[in-house]
Amino acid sequence: MSAAGPANITEATRSGRVWLGMMEDVVPLDDAYLERLRRRDPEALRSIVDGQGRRLYRAARGMGFSKSEAEDLVQDVFVTFIESIERFEGRAQVGTWLFGILHHKSQERWRTVVREELNDPVDQVFESQFDARGSWIRPPAAPDQHVGAREAADAIRDCVDGLSPLQREVFQLRQVEELSAADVSKIVGQTITHIGVLLHRARTKLRSCLEGKGWGRSR
Amino acid sequence: MMTCKDVSTLVSTGGLSDAPLVRRLAVRLHLAMCRHCRAFRRQVEAVARSARAAAAALEVEPLHDFESNIVERLRQ
Repeated sequence: MSAAGPANITEATRSGRVWLGMMEDVVPLDDAYLERLRRRDPEALRSIVDGQGRRLYRAARGMGFSKSEAEDLVQDVFVTFIESIERFEGRAQVGTWLFGILHHKSQERWRTVVREELNDPVDQVFESQFDARGSWIRPPAAPDQHVGAREAADAIRDCVDGLSPLQREVFQLRQVEELSAADVSKIVGQTITHIGVLLHRARTKLRSCLEGKGWGRSR
Repeated sequence: MMTCKDVSTLVSTGGLSDAPLVRRLAVRLHLAMCRHCRAFRRQVEAVARSARAAAAALEVEPLHDFESNIVERLRQ
């Protein structure tokens, strides 16, 4: 998947076979289909919006946008996709391309390029769980001993507000959309190593926040 | 010999799938022996499951004409 994706959304790629990446199934997207999209054929437009629209909406909401903001954002993503479709002729994943547009649009909305601090206090929180030999000082408890998935889902909605915008976006794309680190790296323009750091920080903050709510409290 | 910190860092960064085979086997061996690291991995997996459960509720928020409105705008 990663080898076929664009280096970034502005990179024009070679013509050839294109794939419409769904979560589970991968639908071939050939040149004829792309031509129909260029002509704004209603049926072709409908199929791509049906396949990706709610997924993009879910991601936008997960990144912290309100219902109306998320709906506007998804519309803007598709408008930009269709307007820039001339550049989408390579062996790229439509899903990755669309999420790349979503990333750029969300940064426009925030009116800033989101950057991550080199050091985050949460790194120390993680470090403090281990002794000098790297063994657990405060061992974690298995979460299913304390609370069910539904209650944790309710709790996590509050906890994600404590993440930085980039941590939240990476967590959303890696854990909810289940995109690979390589694809998320292309979407947000960070190295794969840094994607790992951002995911680690997000997970550490969420675990810490959920522990504070009584979920998976250390023994 | 991998420490608990090594293993949990690798699990938490999501770098396990890209790690060399020898390292993946070392992690598997460590997890087989260490209940604390197994609990940590279950926590990480539970956070992901919870986030997906929370996200599932978001996906159904838009009204039935959500897709139609987008297509209509794209045709303009």
